[in-house]
Amino acid sequence: MTGATIDHLVAVTIFLAALLLFIGFYDQMNQTAVVYQYHSYIATECTNILDSIMLNPGTPPNWGVSGSSTQNLTFFGLQDPEFQEYDLSPFSVMRLASTTNQVYYSQTGQWYNNVSWGLNGAYLLLQTSDCISYHEATNLLGINGTYDFQLTVTPTLTVNVTQIPGTDLKLEVQVYGSGGFPLSNANLNYLMFWANTSSGGFPTLNSNFTSEPIQTNSTGIALEEFPSLSSTTAFTFIVKVYTVGLSGMGYLSQATITNTGNIIPYIQSFDNGTANMVLAQKYGSNDPPVGMGNLYYNASFYALPDTFVPVFGENFAGEVNYGNPYQNLTVTTDNQTGFLEIAYGDGTNYGTVIAPLGINSLGLPVTFGSSPSGKDWVATDLRQVIIGDIAYQAKLSLWSLTGYQVTS
Amino acid sequence: MMRTVEIFIVILIMTGAFLTASFYAVLPSPRQVSPLNLSRLALTTLETMDAKNDLSSVAFETTNDTAWNELQVALSASLPSDVIYNLTAYDISSSGGQNLYTVSRSISNTQSLGMGSDVASYMVASSNVTFTVTPQKIGVTLYILNCSDSAGWWITGYTVQSIAQQLAGMFASYFQPSSIVMVQNTTQLGQLLSGQPLGNETLQNAIVINTCGEPVPIPQSYATLYSSDYAHYCYQLGNCSQLYNWTWVSIVGYPFYYVTNTIALQGTQNTWGIYGITEIGPAGLNAFLEGIDGQPYSNNGNWITDSPGVVTLTSAALENCSYYGIFPSPTQTSTRALPESVTTQYDLSVATNVLNPTGGSIPGAVLNHAFKNETNVITGSLFALGLTRVPDTRLAALGILSNYNPTLYKSEYTAAGTSKLVVLQLGLAGG
Repeated sequence: MTGATIDHLVAVTIFLAALLLFIGFYDQMNQTAVVYQYHSYIATECTNILDSIMLNPGTPPNWGVSGSSTQNLTFFGLQDPEFQEYDLSPFSVMRLASTTNQVYYSQTGQWYNNVSWGLNGAYLLLQTSDCISYHEATNLLGINGTYDFQLTVTPTLTVNVTQIPGTDLKLEVQVYGSGGFPLSNANLNYLMFWANTSSGGFPTLNSNFTSEPIQTNSTGIALEEFPSLSSTTAFTFIVKVYTVGLSGMGYLSQATITNTGNIIPYIQSFDNGTANMVLAQKYGSNDPPVGMGNLYYNASFYALPDTFVPVFGENFAGEVNYGNPYQNLTVTTDNQTGFLEIAYGDGTNYGTVIAPLGINSLGLPVTFGSSPSGKDWVATDLRQVIIGDIAYQAKLSLWSLTGYQVTS
Repeated sequence: MMRTVEIFIVILIMTGAFLTASFYAVLPSPRQVSPLNLSRLALTTLETMDAKNDLSSVAFETTNDTAWNELQVALSASLPSDVIYNLTAYDISSSGGQNLYTVSRSISNTQSLGMGSDVASYMVASSNVTFTVTPQKIGVTLYILNCSDSAGWWITGYTVQSIAQQLAGMFASYFQPSSIVMVQNTTQLGQLLSGQPLGNETLQNAIVINTCGEPVPIPQSYATLYSSDYAHYCYQLGNCSQLYNWTWVSIVGYPFYYVTNTIALQGTQNTWGIYGITEIGPAGLNAFLEGIDGQPYSNNGNWITDSPGVVTLTSAALENCSYYGIFPSPTQTSTRALPESVTTQYDLSVATNVLNPTGGSIPGAVLNHAFKNETNVITGSLFALGLTRVPDTRLAALGILSNYNPTLYKSEYTAAGTSKLVVLQLGLAGG
């Protein structure tokens, strides 16, 4: 009798333990399937949101060229309203405000979105009130509080320009495709600006737009030498790379610091064909010290169409100093992409900087949105897009802010 | 002890059930759970590469190794490093009404794309191709009154001949060449009125466009016959329209307001100093309508048209503007619009409105005549554009095309040798 009872107790105990164990196994399997299903849903949502951004110009559709419309958007999209499919507006993309990368200029008391702060001598600093914030974008897309995303728009071709040490000015252009693939036999055309000394301290801005086409070698490298210019010349070199079906841009500008500092261009507003700009005297990236002397500048705006033949617009010359640390410029762009080329100097030393108007003018990349770092599950999708005629890749990373095992 | 053994047997059964369930409940790999949309990536890659027609050019240079090598370099440069691809161009040919696709040339960076690949296809056209649009021919004769012995009024800035040339040019592709007949003088017009075609054309069901404006050309014999009452000539025109089922087109102003013959009426003028024209007045239109309806002739000089002012093209006419590529102004000024009452008075019905009717008037419409006892048999039509001068021949063309609706046949995009199908298949390295 006692043996039967013990047998019963042992059997029941083993049975219950086994039952609980198997319930746990099945539950684990179910939970994994549910999570996988939700991950799949996020991936679908990622595709939908990316296409929604790429294939709609937004409302109003001309918000890219109308800074005053940026704060009145009722739908968010980046497509160029004059084209179809995956053609993005160079001006809409320029207005994507970074959540973390903004700079403050004390003289105007304004914050500026930092797309490029002196990267190879290029400055694209548009006042944040003329940009669309990430928070507004998520609201307009209807995903605020549900999903976070990061949109990166990067040129398909990476074009690096470096100066080779020597007596004469000699430049090396390296061209890479996506994933570091060297682009051989690509054709290159370039624009060259350089600064010279002139009377009264004002620099002379020289240019050469009649370059002979050059080609990259099997390792994606091309060399160009300028025997008439010394290696210490202040210059801006803009190069367009072209191969079958792909175009890319590269540049290098020699933004040196003279004894009276250097120039940093800010864009106060970009609205309906007019860019209001501020040329600020700086010392490196800092405000100039007390008593800083005169810094002379000579700036020219050029529209840069797809043909890569620049069209001269306006010229501006002036000076900045401690008592008058910046100058306002009103640049008529007629809603064309282009750049403001600025030569500056103290009468002895010279430098050049360049301010693109339109993201494609120099092939700058843009990152917009939150950071996916540390998120448990991030879905990504990729599209090839065109801005102007420059090939870009738009990559969207999306993650959920709600749900099980999808948030950090 | 037996129960413990039984429990172990139960556990074995449950383990078997779990293993069986696990075997069938296969969870997808992470790549399948959150896949890169390779199909869209492939399509956007093809679109990007063809943004300047580069892909199209290379696709047709199948023997140009350099071009295809450059394409492969560009393709490798534009795709992420973990994406493998196969790009194939296909020739398209037709056989038995079906398209056949033959591999023309292919490039790839892998031997196998694995099971998880996706494709996008893209049609490219040769730069040498000219796509044509061939209109369906309207199967009736078009008579354009280009009478050298007639004068015009309310065609300010034009001559009768220049309007006739414009119309002939506009209709050239919509009629057989032999079906567009220029009536060169009023003698030829008289021949038509007597039922004799000028050549091999068909007289019945013809369209007759009066290019003189408000006057209507009158043959010398008719000018003599009806010299005491020219409205009676308009009655004869109405009779002929009914008899031969003509569509009479008045391009501007008050229809049949004058008659013109620069020889027979050389000594008279239209009260505005234009010789070769004699005023009939409103009786001309009334007589035509009586003639087309087979009513007894009466010289009725009552003014019947309205002046509704600004009128607009109908939505159907606007659609036809795009379809036929004729773009007159969508707003016009009407000062000689027919009243709607003519439809009941003369057994007319609106076949095609070119301009929107307004306030009881019909500023521009094709009116079909049918007798009450045979409402399905059309016996003559009047297309009167009751607009103020200067005439716009595009409106006349739009009205006739809207009434006959010829189809435009566009050349096939898949015509042999003119197009290629480019297919880009993408996969992820590692399967």
